[in-house]
Amino acid sequence: MTALPGPDAADHVCWVYDDEAFDAAVRQFLAGGVARGERLLCVGERVIDSVRAGGDGDDVESLLADGRLELLTVAEAYAATGRFAPERQLAFYDAATRRAVADGYRGLRVVADLTPLAEDESARADLLRWEHRADAYMASGSGMSAMCAYRGDLPADVLTDVAGAHPLVHAGRRVPAFRLFFEEAGLALAGSVDTFDADRLAALLWSSTAEGPVVTLDLTFLEFIDGAGCRVLARWARELATRSIALELRGAPRIVERMWTLLGFSALAPVTFAGAPA
Amino acid sequence: MTVVDSGAAPAAFDHEALFYRGTDDFLAGVLAFVHDGLAKDEAVVVAEPRDRLDLLRDALGSDAGSVEFLDMADIGANPSRIIAVWAAAVDRHVGAGRGLRGVGEPAFHGRREAELVECQLHELLLNEAFDDGPAWRLMCPYDERLLPRAVCRGALRAHPMRSTAQHRLPSVGYAPDGHVAALAERLPRPREGVLSGRYGPGDAPATRRTVAHWARSCGLSDEQVGALELAASELATNSLRHGGGQGTVAMWTGPGVAVVEFSDAGHLSDPLSGRLHPPVDQEGGRGLYLVNQLCDLVQVRTSPEGTTVRVLTWL
Repeated sequence: MTALPGPDAADHVCWVYDDEAFDAAVRQFLAGGVARGERLLCVGERVIDSVRAGGDGDDVESLLADGRLELLTVAEAYAATGRFAPERQLAFYDAATRRAVADGYRGLRVVADLTPLAEDESARADLLRWEHRADAYMASGSGMSAMCAYRGDLPADVLTDVAGAHPLVHAGRRVPAFRLFFEEAGLALAGSVDTFDADRLAALLWSSTAEGPVVTLDLTFLEFIDGAGCRVLARWARELATRSIALELRGAPRIVERMWTLLGFSALAPVTFAGAPA
Repeated sequence: MTVVDSGAAPAAFDHEALFYRGTDDFLAGVLAFVHDGLAKDEAVVVAEPRDRLDLLRDALGSDAGSVEFLDMADIGANPSRIIAVWAAAVDRHVGAGRGLRGVGEPAFHGRREAELVECQLHELLLNEAFDDGPAWRLMCPYDERLLPRAVCRGALRAHPMRSTAQHRLPSVGYAPDGHVAALAERLPRPREGVLSGRYGPGDAPATRRTVAHWARSCGLSDEQVGALELAASELATNSLRHGGGQGTVAMWTGPGVAVVEFSDAGHLSDPLSGRLHPPVDQEGGRGLYLVNQLCDLVQVRTSPEGTTVRVLTWL
């Protein structure tokens, strides 16, 4: 993705920034929220700089004054959510989204710089879990949408990991091979998964909080998957089966079903192949 | 000449080539073998091209119901797939305590030259695959009248036993471990029109995209393009992981065929690589098996000098 698409209720964008194009993207993303009648929340000094770099200071001040826009530094955000944990983050954003809706807004649009968390090695696993959790929350019709910003000089594998948990990614040359994200009907896997991506996919799937009697994974936009990638899906199906959850693969390319049969993966766990969602 | 008794139960894998001349001779040799198996209450599995299956079914009459028939043109279209079929039969029958005899004619008349070459390698590898396993018998008919002489000579090298409808003898030309030299043989090089490129770490996606693009430009179907794209990814990945971290891909077309070839500096230590069904719990080792299953013909050549995997798609 090079430019932002038009604003939507459940946007979840990953933006890896290393130049001033980020300032314009932040303002465009927030302007989309204003147009939709959403409340705006910005987290992090770099994001606040982008908001204020717009030149039209009066506009920002009036948004702040009538409670439509809130700006939090990283320290202020920490104070509000407490020590970083996916559950606390979810509680914080869920409360903020509900408050926005109760105050008459259509939802809550967030731009947050997550670089400080990504820099903290001990927080990375939780960060990935949170991104995935947040994606599910946004896709569920909660009214929250977000742009997650990461500074471009973070380690490449960290950026690939976090970017892979977003339906929309702006990451320049570091664009991840695949993306796993939530859509209305369930999870979707898009892009390409080969042997070298298999561990990364496994980490993301295992961090997923899939629930219900049936979990669906939409493969309609899967460009390519190899045998090792399919085996990750089969092992995940087995893991789900131990929790009495059935896996349904939707819109799988025909060759995926052929591989499944040839490699005998149905012996690991039963999986249903269904047509593409309407 | 000594006639070796064919009635005794084998103590190990017994692999024989049956040379026949014409339909009656074929039926005489195969029916005696099948009836003998049925009389001993062994499981009998016959893999022949469809017209020969019909002949045998008719000739067997009511006994046909006790025989499992497989279409060799289907299961053995790529001869590299056949060993997995026999391995499954051994598991199913010998594993259940029953005797097993098979009839398999991979090198049937009418096959392309490159297919017959792979049939010969397959026959050599059968010994490697089953020599150390449980006892069972496999008879491989060869049409002496219609097949090239070189194919029948090759059969003598690949089978410890040779037979006709009348005799069964040890094959003096038998070459134990003949697969080593066969695997090290060089494939004939195309003269011109070869597109080629090198790939290294991180290049698996670019390699598969290049191959898919080329396959599409050859007019292959979506299904064939998908199979070749997967093959390209799996084989490039094998080079990157086990073949010295880099390799070469070459693509060309010949009369009726599109060819994609992967070469690297690695050596496949297991001559049966890609020919046996990988257990679901096994970590890797699925690539070459998938390529064998999904592609029309696969030619693997490997030695300490390097490894080449040539994938042929019939146009």
